[in-house]
Amino acid sequence: MVSKTEEEQVNRLEGQVENGGGGEWEYLCLVRKLKLRRSFNVLKYGLSILNNPKKRSALGSEEWTLYEQVAIAAMDCQRLDLAKDFIKILAEKFPESKRVGRLEALLLEAMDLWEEAEKAYSSLLEDNELDPVIHKRRVAMAKAQGNISGAIEWLNKYLEIFMADHDAWRELAEIYVSLQMYKQAAFCYEELILSQPTIPLYHLAYADVLYTLGGLENLHMAKKYYASTTDLTGGKNTRALFGICLCTSAIEQLTKGRNKDDKENSQLASLSATALEKDYKQRAPNKVSLLASTLRSLKLSS
Amino acid sequence: MGAGFVVGVLGVLFLSHAAYSTIQYRSLLKITEDEFTGPPINVVMELIAGLVLCMWAALTVPGKFLSILPQSDENRVVALPSNLDFMIFNHRGKAFPLSIDAKLK
Repeated sequence: MVSKTEEEQVNRLEGQVENGGGGEWEYLCLVRKLKLRRSFNVLKYGLSILNNPKKRSALGSEEWTLYEQVAIAAMDCQRLDLAKDFIKILAEKFPESKRVGRLEALLLEAMDLWEEAEKAYSSLLEDNELDPVIHKRRVAMAKAQGNISGAIEWLNKYLEIFMADHDAWRELAEIYVSLQMYKQAAFCYEELILSQPTIPLYHLAYADVLYTLGGLENLHMAKKYYASTTDLTGGKNTRALFGICLCTSAIEQLTKGRNKDDKENSQLASLSATALEKDYKQRAPNKVSLLASTLRSLKLSS
Repeated sequence: MGAGFVVGVLGVLFLSHAAYSTIQYRSLLKITEDEFTGPPINVVMELIAGLVLCMWAALTVPGKFLSILPQSDENRVVALPSNLDFMIFNHRGKAFPLSIDAKLK
């Protein structure tokens, strides 16, 4: 859940570090806290800290978390030699550690040695039957090998045990959308909205799926969820505003003859159109004419 | 910060002085055996002044107030964290390994 201030902070720190202004450790901590995937930068700046013995000793015991973070970033940037070095250092410091064992299995995954990785994960599971991270890595492995239905199977089994894991629900929803199984994806998004109703991006994704499914009922629901997204983001989410306009015009097309509840529908649509125009004038003034013609064509299409 | 702090201390002094004068007034009334209907007007004025000063100090000394609305411009959710538990390494970035020199020991 990255808020606007946090995003600005990360971008500012990134700019600062790129121009050589220091602050690498804060940047790495912030990336770790917000769970962003900026492997390029993490690897570059993490290496610079770890190569400098003064800065390394200044970290104290947090040095090992940094090793783990940079090892994963190295695997993501396909520098498996660096990752191997980091994991070796970690294994020397923490022998017999499950966390290091997980990292080693992750390295096997990155090297495309799927059977060895599977064996490593099953041996780790023998010690601890219900380790959620290892179950999730199995799903990721199935996904990486292209076995999407296997991934769905594993993920469903995982969700039967750990029903409250919203990351897993999100992953399942995204897999269903990629396979165009929109009804199942809508179910997953409903679970997400139930458990975390204040995050507008779930409402937005649910509304997108409903709009894609089509049909009058779904279009009405989609409009409601676009409206709730607009509410939760203070009107700043452009996609939700567009969603409201598109839903209104699609509903109008479907109910051509019957004119019921016209006033509130058109009010909502005109409000969101005004908000969009204001936003565009501020941020992209050369596209205002394009926006105006699009909105006009939406309103007149009935 | 300094001015707000001084104003706050002043407000507290005003209030304690008002309390002291009320106690003195009550002991005076006990001597003249009159009823205590309420503190005299100037003590009430002093109380109000002390209240205003203390409130002003309480609002200015702590510094900038943070916004609590989830849809305000600072707090609104802009992005979700990338699902790192399900991260796969089998992506197109495999073709572009990061080319920096290896780690020094």
